[in-house]
Amino acid sequence: MTTAEPTDAGTGEGRLSETIETVDTQRVALYVVLAGLIGFYLSPLWAGLTTAFKTQTGFVETTPVTPPTPAWFTLEPWELAFAAMQGGLINSAMFVVPATILSATLGSLAAYGLTKLSWRGQVGILVIFLAGVFLPYQSVLVPLRQFWSAVDLAGLLSFAPFLANRADLLELTITHTAYGIPICTILFRSYYKTLDDEMIEAAKIDGANAFGIYKRIVLPLSLPMFAVTLIYQFTQVWNDLLFALVLVTSRSNYVVTQSLNELQGSMAQEYNIQMAGAFIAALPTIIIYVIFGRQFAKGITGAS
Amino acid sequence: MAKLTLDGVTKRFDDGGDVIVAVDDVSIEIDDGEFLVLVGPSGCGKSTTLRMIAGLETISDGRIAIDGDVVNDVPAQQREIAMVFQSYALYPHMTVRENMRFGLEESTTLDTDTMNERVEETATMLEIDDLLERKPSELSGGQQQRVALGRAIVRDPAVFLMDEPLSNLDAKLRSGMRMELQRLQHDLGVTTVYVTHDQTEAMTMGDRIAILDDGELQQVATPLECYHRPKNLFVAGFIGEPSMNFFDVSLEDDRLVGSGFEYPLSSPIRSELAGDEKLVLGIRPEDIEVLDARETAHDFPVRVDVVEPMGNENNLLAGFRTDENDSQFNVTTDGMRRIEEGTHYIARFPESAIHVFDRESGVALHSREIDDEATLLESRI
Repeated sequence: MTTAEPTDAGTGEGRLSETIETVDTQRVALYVVLAGLIGFYLSPLWAGLTTAFKTQTGFVETTPVTPPTPAWFTLEPWELAFAAMQGGLINSAMFVVPATILSATLGSLAAYGLTKLSWRGQVGILVIFLAGVFLPYQSVLVPLRQFWSAVDLAGLLSFAPFLANRADLLELTITHTAYGIPICTILFRSYYKTLDDEMIEAAKIDGANAFGIYKRIVLPLSLPMFAVTLIYQFTQVWNDLLFALVLVTSRSNYVVTQSLNELQGSMAQEYNIQMAGAFIAALPTIIIYVIFGRQFAKGITGAS
Repeated sequence: MAKLTLDGVTKRFDDGGDVIVAVDDVSIEIDDGEFLVLVGPSGCGKSTTLRMIAGLETISDGRIAIDGDVVNDVPAQQREIAMVFQSYALYPHMTVRENMRFGLEESTTLDTDTMNERVEETATMLEIDDLLERKPSELSGGQQQRVALGRAIVRDPAVFLMDEPLSNLDAKLRSGMRMELQRLQHDLGVTTVYVTHDQTEAMTMGDRIAILDDGELQQVATPLECYHRPKNLFVAGFIGEPSMNFFDVSLEDDRLVGSGFEYPLSSPIRSELAGDEKLVLGIRPEDIEVLDARETAHDFPVRVDVVEPMGNENNLLAGFRTDENDSQFNVTTDGMRRIEEGTHYIARFPESAIHVFDRESGVALHSREIDDEATLLESRI
């Protein structure tokens, strides 16, 4: 375009002025706004990251966004935070993984039953599931605590000391599974409604029973939706502090969010250790997202 | 291989207090090895009937029997039937081989080698043996259709059910598949119920046709019998393309008086009509002759409004010149003859080709003459 006129093409000035003319001012404005937004959203992350690599004097004497100079650079906060949170990480992994898989699997089964099988009273059950999605955590804290006190899981498991010691985590697993089933069911349900009914009927005529159809047809086709629910549930359960605060009583069972909370010093605020801890706590959810990312994209765009 | 019996089969749907009768007291006997086509306009209950045979819908009333055994309460899984769906309904995550083997795995106890053998045999028969390791998404529509068919054939069922299996194919492929399906069904000798809304498929494929309208069975007969001896107005209008022309007429003495024409009747036909006065005169487009001069009392002056040359024939839209209502009818003439649009001709309605129906009930009172009726209308099986 800029070389349309052969006489102008020779001179550099002519070319420059033409280039400037062709620049779309709207587009420039768009990029400026986008760059501003990127800066706005990334600045806390960046500030956290730089702080985590600074020594105590480093973060006191500089602004958070300044990168650490060699004089103040240290890996110590990461080491300290990791040491303090190690137990929490393991405890969290121990209950988050089963809770996530259980709620996704049970949600998928429930959704299959609510979409591809016909039986009386489906609507009523569906309404209960829907209501479950909108139940706020805070509203169930007291009954939840009372329920688990009444059940006394540790006492029931006294025959196996290892499990009894981990009763808090088992309670968390069951609670989060129960709390996750409604949203997983709704997600799977919307996906199963798009599955071809004739395909299910074809499998039926081919001789497969309800569970066979689920196992051999529906389940393999729901992998993208499993990625969505696994990522969603994992993030949700891993980041939860409220239920853990209410249900976990023994310090040895503290989960990662609790141990992160513990990093708050009582005298001096060690922001560098807290920041490093926050990143360590967030890392597993990022890893999960990377692992299931491709399937996740498929699941939310509805492609199968 | 089996005989399929539908006896007073009825399906009622409950629609918020209203009861909708989708299939109303349908009784058909389908012989072992017979190819029966269920045909009718959309919403006539043909698919519901098929789904009841398949076990995908419950039966509200009546009974369905395979070889004499009532299967009303037998679940779809155990009915020994195979079905080809309109959407093909292939399992997208399985290869062609796995798709075809699925039914064998679920319904038989054969070992893997035997299953593979049967899958390969069927695939060879359908000329899809080179596609066995592909996924359905890598196949064309026609190939998917063959896989769907193969999945049904490989199970060697007692009854085949097909729900508009050709409607997603393009026209050329469809006419090819029509012939191939007939050949396959003939070779396999499996009792088949085939649902379609396309009267051409019904006419060309079926040993017999069952015509449904509004849930009610209108006629079960060989294709040619439905064509030449329609039991009522609906069948007469539904079978045949372009469809039969109908004229509202009233019987006055020995003449049928319609808008713009009077049609004298000979005494044998007149006597069949008894006392009914409100009648419908029917005649197929190809039975109307186009002439240049009036010769008999069954010839009428007409103007030709539209000519559609098809090559082998011309489809004309014509009207009586003496008709004040300007109603039009179809005429089919030989393709070699040139007919001018907007020109006046004489149309002959031969008395041997007319049908007369009762206007109220739609029942056929008189059907056209056929020279060698026994040979023409004989069943093909």
